[in-house]
Amino acid sequence: MTPLATLLTLSSMLFTLGLFAVLTRRNAILILVGIELMLNAANINFIAFWRYGPPDPQLAGPMFVMFSIAIAAAEAAVGLAIILMVFRHTRSTDLDKLDSLHG
Amino acid sequence: MFPLLILSPLIILAALGAVWMARPVHAALLLALALALNAVLYLLLGADFIGLVQFMVYVGAVAVLIVFSLLITRQDDEAEELARRPKSFVTGLVCTLPVLGVLLYVVSQTQTGKQQTETVPQVPLKELGITLFNSHSPAVLAVAVLLTAVMIGAALFARETKSKQP
Repeated sequence: MTPLATLLTLSSMLFTLGLFAVLTRRNAILILVGIELMLNAANINFIAFWRYGPPDPQLAGPMFVMFSIAIAAAEAAVGLAIILMVFRHTRSTDLDKLDSLHG
Repeated sequence: MFPLLILSPLIILAALGAVWMARPVHAALLLALALALNAVLYLLLGADFIGLVQFMVYVGAVAVLIVFSLLITRQDDEAEELARRPKSFVTGLVCTLPVLGVLLYVVSQTQTGKQQTETVPQVPLKELGITLFNSHSPAVLAVAVLLTAVMIGAALFARETKSKQP
């Protein structure tokens, strides 16, 4: 296996693990953990293609990862603020209990 | 190549723990470990600055934020989580295994043999900064606006609204 294939396999597995966490967890904060794992898998792909792809003087891979990290941090901050607000209303972060819109 | 083969299973194991641990704080700490190992991976691949940014932002900010949120919203529902587990495990596997299969199939079909550049591409920090603030300056401005909006929004969300409580 070439290094690029190793890295792509790693990022596929990380993405699947994140998806698994999002689908199976019920605690809202742990769902955010899964989302962070998926974002990281995408970042690994950017760095892998930059490192083992054709030479890139524009540095597109690292630039993309840098913006992606900034946006992931923003997403985590807003997500956790929303979760804290929900917790203050319902005293729970269990998403199964948030069914007040249920018909 | 060789350090990659050691580091990749470690990252997968840490992520597996983050996904699998029943106690939320353990899951969050293993997430921090996985993100830190990810930073090491970036350093190994020659993206020094990105590795340091990853370490500072993810491990220093996001993981700590998640741990603090878990401490604030503390609830001991491990028994509930463990009771729910067999059912959700099956659902999760049914939904994620096809995704993994497709991704691994695509990776195995990709021709990655040709472009094996073993020389680590050098990224001088000065060049990175010049690129960032020349051709990517609109994106930098957009991220600045986004971060300001997020800061204000998160502060508004997290604010105690005492007047509305009965």
